[in-house]
Amino acid sequence: MSFDAEKEIAKLWAKCQAVQDENRRTFYQCREAAIQMAGDGADENAIALKAWEIKGKDVAKSYLPRIRMDKPKFVENIAKLFVNSWRNQGAVVTVEPGADENEVFIVWERCPWPTTAKQYGAPMAEDLAGCDLALQTTIADVALFSNRNLKIETTKAIPRGEGKCVRRLWLEQ
Amino acid sequence: MARQIFEWDYTNYPGAKKYPHVFSPIQLGNLIIPNRVKYAATEDNLNSHDGYITDEDVAYMRERARGVAGGLCTMQGVYMDERRFGQGYVGQAAAWDDKFIPGLKRIADAIHEERAVANYQLMHCGRVGGVETPFCEGPSFLPQRLRLFKPVHEMSHEEVEISIQQHVDAARRGVEAGFDVMEISGIVGYLISNFLSSYTNRRTDEYGGDVYARCKFMTDIIKGVRGAIGPDIPLIIRICAWEQLDDVGGNTQDESMIVYQEAVKAGVDSISVTVGWQESIVPVISRDIDFGTWLWVPENAKKHVDVPLSMAYRLFHADMADKAIADGKIDYWENCRPQIADPDMPLKYLEGREEDIRWCVACNVCLARLFRDAPMTCYINPTCAHENDPSYYPQPASTKKTVFIAGGGPAGLECAWVAADRGHEVHVYDDREKLGGTIIDAGLAPYNDDELYRIIDFHKAQCDKRGVEFHMGETLTAEILEEELPDTVVIATGADYLRGNGAPGFDRDNVISLTEALYETKPVGDRVVVWGNRKPGIGCALALAKKGKKVTLVGPERTVGKDINPSFRWRYNMFLRQNGVTSYNDCDIAEIEDGRVIIMTYDGHRVPVEADTVVYAERGPSAFAAELKAAAAEESIETYVIGDAVVPRGLSGAVHDGYKIGLRI
Repeated sequence: MSFDAEKEIAKLWAKCQAVQDENRRTFYQCREAAIQMAGDGADENAIALKAWEIKGKDVAKSYLPRIRMDKPKFVENIAKLFVNSWRNQGAVVTVEPGADENEVFIVWERCPWPTTAKQYGAPMAEDLAGCDLALQTTIADVALFSNRNLKIETTKAIPRGEGKCVRRLWLEQ
Repeated sequence: MARQIFEWDYTNYPGAKKYPHVFSPIQLGNLIIPNRVKYAATEDNLNSHDGYITDEDVAYMRERARGVAGGLCTMQGVYMDERRFGQGYVGQAAAWDDKFIPGLKRIADAIHEERAVANYQLMHCGRVGGVETPFCEGPSFLPQRLRLFKPVHEMSHEEVEISIQQHVDAARRGVEAGFDVMEISGIVGYLISNFLSSYTNRRTDEYGGDVYARCKFMTDIIKGVRGAIGPDIPLIIRICAWEQLDDVGGNTQDESMIVYQEAVKAGVDSISVTVGWQESIVPVISRDIDFGTWLWVPENAKKHVDVPLSMAYRLFHADMADKAIADGKIDYWENCRPQIADPDMPLKYLEGREEDIRWCVACNVCLARLFRDAPMTCYINPTCAHENDPSYYPQPASTKKTVFIAGGGPAGLECAWVAADRGHEVHVYDDREKLGGTIIDAGLAPYNDDELYRIIDFHKAQCDKRGVEFHMGETLTAEILEEELPDTVVIATGADYLRGNGAPGFDRDNVISLTEALYETKPVGDRVVVWGNRKPGIGCALALAKKGKKVTLVGPERTVGKDINPSFRWRYNMFLRQNGVTSYNDCDIAEIEDGRVIIMTYDGHRVPVEADTVVYAERGPSAFAAELKAAAAEESIETYVIGDAVVPRGLSGAVHDGYKIGLRI
């Protein structure tokens, strides 16, 4: 039986992208359900942010078993965990070095989340605030667990039309 | 003046001559204990879910008390809070009220009736103790590293003081119940260890800070308990000499030694040395860890404290313990899992019956069951947790029968000795020249899997003592059945390795069986695909990878090693990664071609993998067992099928099947 490697890879790649799309759609479907259930007058933004916060909390749970404080490049290793998470979701993300080993920049060259937000009519401000909150929540738990003063801030954002998202991750001394 | 509760004279016991240090007395505080054996506290989930002691737990403890032959026998740790904080196991004994004293007294009495020294343990499970509560208690709020455990509530100063008093009150109840020795558990992530560790204690009040401040919770408990129990009852504490939490900022080994010194200053008479937490990423007690690995830990601790030290971890054998005592590395020998597997293990050493010891295989099924709220069980000991049920023990058969057993593996041999013990005439047939069946092959896997074979040594000795007749190199056939007409046939022939799934290419010369690969009776190329991602396939893959082969594991299970105990599976996953084995799970072989194998994923994708050799390690029903069963039916012979011949499983299924059918014939 012949084996067409290109065809097999193309099929797998298409499935992978479909799963990534489905993941984001599910998030926004559940967001819509929660908003509708909350009824008129509910704070849609607050509901959406709560969902992002829960997502951040759960991401932290998956990071904690992987934290190795006895290994060098602690900050870079945390950044790489974010990179892997977002790559799995379809983003193009890299880590760039900062001033020293206690600072790195996580750069999202491409991210599919704002596009999905648009498809479901969610404002860009919510997408940015939600993503920021998820990251802040994850970092807060990682910082608490590791007993290190780890911080993250957004310096550029695709939802603001700045072409890419850049987050500074650093250890405050 | 030191006192002794029971007099034991070991003079005429062979074990006392062979292991003179183990079977010599030791003084803990003001109490002389006749020997240096201690059964360590073990939860068993046998008690009622409101903390009362049950008949099953009393019977379980009585057996272990008999086994220590005058030594120290520890009951499971009790929880001490009416709200059930600190309860780590659903069937854990409680001691938060005087109403539990009568039940606890039953345990103390049972231990005393076996003339052993009764040790009582206080155990608040801290950040891993919240089986019946929405959250756990700990010194500081800290997210859980393991999803298994509930969120942690940071104890207020008042709650800390209440907890200390609960320890003191529960200690007093232990004394009133009649226990001779008091033990405080501060191990593996339980509350005291949470306070001691820089990883989990971030408090800024008097119970947090540097290592000395972090010791305050422990020393307050020690002092309070000492006050409650008086000077004559020895006080032991179990604490980590090495947390193995360097990766998350836990205590250094130097800090742990300061903890030891503070515990002694506060008034303990002895320390049980432990290593690691449940949250540690370094394994401590699994089978791949060599015996005696951790002896340097108490040896180091002895440089810092001058009270008797004991240790349990991977110290299964009396010769090793005896030497460790002689060399001054430990003062007494603690064991837990070996006495789950064989409650009489130390007693058998004493009586010179070492061949009768049913050895623990360090599988950790006992622990896995407890974490899943199930009653204790043992992989290798069918009577474990059934001590209160006489029907689980051999009784003389009402009708003596001639029993033919096909297969000299663990199922057949277990059945053979039990049936012979009951008075049957038993014959075991096996086409191999050596007893052991599948375990011989399994023992070839790396990481100390050769320990598995010790069950066969046990079986052989039991069979020999009971006159079981072996027909080695002889297959039990339909012709033999027709000629000899035994009363009963037991078919324990194991499973067959399946040569393929019908996919093209399985008939090629480079497709070989697991046994051909392991025994190297056929050539194995440098690139190997092993078909079967259960235990046999994993063992074979690791054995070949250790020989430098590039191994790919392919199998139908959704995760590799689905048939392995979850508490041990992570080890195998790690071994596979370390040895560069690639796994394709939920997959099958679609085709075997020249130099490569086409793997089919569950959803139809095809992946080519280079391979010189394909090893089949999937098992299925035994064709021979079916034939023999039909032949026995033809002669109207009572027939049983056991072990992997029923359905491919593991050593535990084989032993438990064999034992139960041995009781039934």
